[in-house]
Amino acid sequence: MNNRVACIGAGMTRFVRRSKETSGELASQAVQMALEDAGMTIDEIDAVCLGTAPDAFDGIHMKGEHLIAGAGASGKPYLRHYVGGGTGVMSPIHGWMHVASGKFKNVLVVTEEKMSPCNPHPAGAFLTIFDHTTEQPLELTLIHIFALEMARLMHVYGYTEEDIARVSVTHKKNAMDHPAAQIAGEITVDDVMNSTLLSWPVKRLDISPTSDAAVAIVLSNEREARSRKASPVFIDGVGYRLDTAYWCSRDLAYPTYVAMAAQDAYKMAGITDPVKDIDIFEPYDPFDYKALHHMNGLLLDKSGRTVKDLLFSGAFERDGSHPMCPSGGALGVGNPIAATGLMKIAELYFQLSGQAGKRQVKKNAHRGVAQAWGDLMQVGTVVVMSSEGAAPNTNSRWNTMKASDLPGTGLKKVTDAPVVADTPDLRYEWDNGTALTTYLDGFKNGKIRGSYCSRCGRMMIPTRNFCEICNLAPVNDHFDLPDTGTVMTYTISHVNWDSSPLPKGTINIFAVIAIDGAAENMGLVHRLGNVDPEKVAIGMRVKAVWKKADEREGNVLDIEYFEPLPKSAKVKVEIKPVKPVEMTVDKAGAFPGKIPMSYLYTAGIAGTKFYQDLAKGKITGTFIEAMDQVVTPPAMFDEVSMEPSDVDKDAKNIPAKSGMIQSYTVVYEDRSGEEMKQPVVIAQVAFPGAAGSIFGRLKLAKGQTPCIGAQVELVKKKKITGPDDIEFQMK
Amino acid sequence: MGVSIMGVGVCGFTPTSTGYSYRELIAKAAKAAYLDAGIDIDMIDGAVSVEEDFVSGYSIADEYVPDQLGVVRKPVYTICGDFLHGIGSAVMQINTGRFDVVVVEAYSKASNMLTKDELLRFAYDPIFNRFGVSAHYLAGIEMRSFLAETGYTAEDVAEVVVKNRLNAVLNPNAPYGAEMDIADVLDARPVALPVTEQMIPRHADGSIVVVLGKDEIAKEHSRSPIFIAGTGWGSGTSILERREHHISEGTIIAADMAYAEAGIASPGDEIDAFFVSDLYPHRELMHMEALQVNDCEAVIVNPNGGAQGGGDLIEATGGARLYEAVIQLRGEAGACQVDAKRALVHGWRGLPTDSCAVVILEKERS
Repeated sequence: MNNRVACIGAGMTRFVRRSKETSGELASQAVQMALEDAGMTIDEIDAVCLGTAPDAFDGIHMKGEHLIAGAGASGKPYLRHYVGGGTGVMSPIHGWMHVASGKFKNVLVVTEEKMSPCNPHPAGAFLTIFDHTTEQPLELTLIHIFALEMARLMHVYGYTEEDIARVSVTHKKNAMDHPAAQIAGEITVDDVMNSTLLSWPVKRLDISPTSDAAVAIVLSNEREARSRKASPVFIDGVGYRLDTAYWCSRDLAYPTYVAMAAQDAYKMAGITDPVKDIDIFEPYDPFDYKALHHMNGLLLDKSGRTVKDLLFSGAFERDGSHPMCPSGGALGVGNPIAATGLMKIAELYFQLSGQAGKRQVKKNAHRGVAQAWGDLMQVGTVVVMSSEGAAPNTNSRWNTMKASDLPGTGLKKVTDAPVVADTPDLRYEWDNGTALTTYLDGFKNGKIRGSYCSRCGRMMIPTRNFCEICNLAPVNDHFDLPDTGTVMTYTISHVNWDSSPLPKGTINIFAVIAIDGAAENMGLVHRLGNVDPEKVAIGMRVKAVWKKADEREGNVLDIEYFEPLPKSAKVKVEIKPVKPVEMTVDKAGAFPGKIPMSYLYTAGIAGTKFYQDLAKGKITGTFIEAMDQVVTPPAMFDEVSMEPSDVDKDAKNIPAKSGMIQSYTVVYEDRSGEEMKQPVVIAQVAFPGAAGSIFGRLKLAKGQTPCIGAQVELVKKKKITGPDDIEFQMK
Repeated sequence: MGVSIMGVGVCGFTPTSTGYSYRELIAKAAKAAYLDAGIDIDMIDGAVSVEEDFVSGYSIADEYVPDQLGVVRKPVYTICGDFLHGIGSAVMQINTGRFDVVVVEAYSKASNMLTKDELLRFAYDPIFNRFGVSAHYLAGIEMRSFLAETGYTAEDVAEVVVKNRLNAVLNPNAPYGAEMDIADVLDARPVALPVTEQMIPRHADGSIVVVLGKDEIAKEHSRSPIFIAGTGWGSGTSILERREHHISEGTIIAADMAYAEAGIASPGDEIDAFFVSDLYPHRELMHMEALQVNDCEAVIVNPNGGAQGGGDLIEATGGARLYEAVIQLRGEAGACQVDAKRALVHGWRGLPTDSCAVVILEKERS
């Protein structure tokens, strides 16, 4: 390796269900702690890389851009990377690239997720991770695919729900010693089994919570690391692999992509036998079964026997031979997606440098592995870290860290602080293209269609005109397939796509169905119907029930559901070539869709101060010691020095009548681009003696025209519901 | 050890791309890039996609990357930035010494987004800056600040549109070539004055795939490698209230990094052609100032028409400029051809950001 890369500091906020802080404020708190832990100032940081998962959580498009100030990246090289749920462990990998390439010496790696703005529930953000044309109409959500995967894992590896529940019990117990933990506790297997059934086999206590939090670490090259820390923890191996988005085309029981990522990381770290060579495991555990699923991948044992033996022998306990998630994992500490993965990296840093306090594993640990997972059950990110030995009594504040020492303010309800509500209108029509046009035309004609790759010999669903595993070789031949198949896995769901309960007495059964005549394991996800839920089983033979011909619209809902085939039924697998649809202006269709999200944004620590004062007709700023200056709007951190400030104690009143137009624009279109009846003036208003400015609407009396430098004053409003209520008038 | 561009492939750019799914649009560019680079897919060690949620209608957009690039189960991740940010990341990846060939991809299906202005508005801070008016408002604020602080006139800004739209007439990949005059721009329908409709590039669809490799691999396989001499990226603050709206601090940071790496002391003299973000024409002038080019008349800027002529391709926009720079350096730019041995490519993510990236390309490794 060109340059060894080490972690020399970590910081994190508490993991909470709803934080009062904004996304940027959370990030700033984690950054401040990480810098302090590394003994550095922000000036010594050469670049910042940020990991955060979907924009849909925080409710800000391009949210990486929005997080620049909070991440300490103002005026610095800054990149945001992501791979969905795998982002947390991709983050140190991207940070590693920054340093190992020789381009930067010291890099700040920041992860943040604020899931609570999603209204009514963050789970709704997962509806739109599915293929917009072939899957979203079924209204699936993340719990469904987890349940499908868990059921398949149980079937293939012979786990019971009780076996799997043991993971949840252990992780929540481990988390009792983690200062950031959101839902630590002593629970029993029975508690898990008796918790609310959401989508069989998934129950409430099988799942990690949704969370708001930020985690940051500092990565340095070896020379920098050794000059700053007695026990740097090195990144010895990295791996990341992304599988196909056609997730119904493979067996979900074993995460091959995780195993491949692990193999890459192990090869780089010189690990030949992970069972012997690794002391600590931090697999991603958003659901309890996932920890076992990932351990199969990390131990490179497709048979699953090693993991089963270790689980049942107690080896995964913190004091066991193979401690798994000594942090408490996502199940116990919480699951602010990207921040969870970096929390696991931070745990390896603490454990391998002897800073884990009560969580310190019994064995003398030199090497650990952390892993994250995400997207459509398709990405594995793996990091191997090592140290030259964890002195058990390392003098570190992390050894004695308590929850009260960590930043982050939990709210019972989002509306316990000032909020701004917003519902973006995001609508689309996605071009079907040539391959899907033929596929969707099949549905209209009551047929399931596939296309055949002559190189790999796979009959593929949905149809495509290139083969993703044969060097994009052209796929020209399309076929009508039987509408029968075999249930590969299933879930009996009691919840809607947005996590709300289905009406009492109703259920949805979703299944992955391998379609007859298609390649092995190749199929589609759909509903089962006309079936006794008790009798649904993996391996069950099913047949599509179609809508009437005149009711079909050319989409996946033209199949109402799949129903069981009688055991005696003999199906003749008939595959018939079809002519692909000839593309014309009429036929080249597009599939409609939208992002059905709405948001309630907490104003944050600084925003709360700003809004409360604004309602009194006042404008305040915050005195920033490092700048020796007042800034407006208020700020709970200085983005230049990354020093914290207190928006109340350091508050300075700014005369609301002393504004001056710094710039302005006359806007003729509304938020959707439609022409407005009256143009609106938006002004950037500066105040003497204060850095910064305020953006607001400018009210003009008849005959007034704005100009730069003109004097303006704040218009007092009775109620402030958002930026549109910030208004100035010319004097 | 250096990193080269081994091959480039594009599909587009057109106002709509009906008949292609996004997968098909990308696969077409990928196949072209791999052929151009002289590689088999087996040689690819990893891929970087440049994409942001919601643009494609997905909330975890990176899921839908590997298939159409032919890189299923390979190391793949996504960068949220301009295409050039993806190049910066991929170059670092190769320079770790653990990857030889890495592919960078971005695409635009802007025509599939029915509510583009709503999406842009959704990028603003909801507490302080997200107003119930056109999200182009910040361009109006910026342009007015820029004119007031620098001495440029509205006519100078309009001239950028006139120049770039005219250059695009001769570019077969650019959908919006036109012969206009300054009055056409300044008297156009007002959107967020001083910004008029003719200053806001229309969107376009298209895809771009670039193959990067170590110099020695590029020399062995590529029919015409182009060498990367420097990369840089950065941003001013994300807090709009504290940003200086007449300068692009992001460009200054990015350029400083790239110039230092490429050993360039006098950019106006040492670089032959500039391919610079002109999403809003005042930004082209602002970016050139930040690139430390004092006399824009003396250098070539956006000879293929920029985004004004080529369209706003969202994340792929900087990729289009990179493609143009590569074909210019290769001498394959047809009627747009200029004389250039070294080019600078600049990308900006657009409003409300100041995130910029710079890549310096050379025909010969200096």
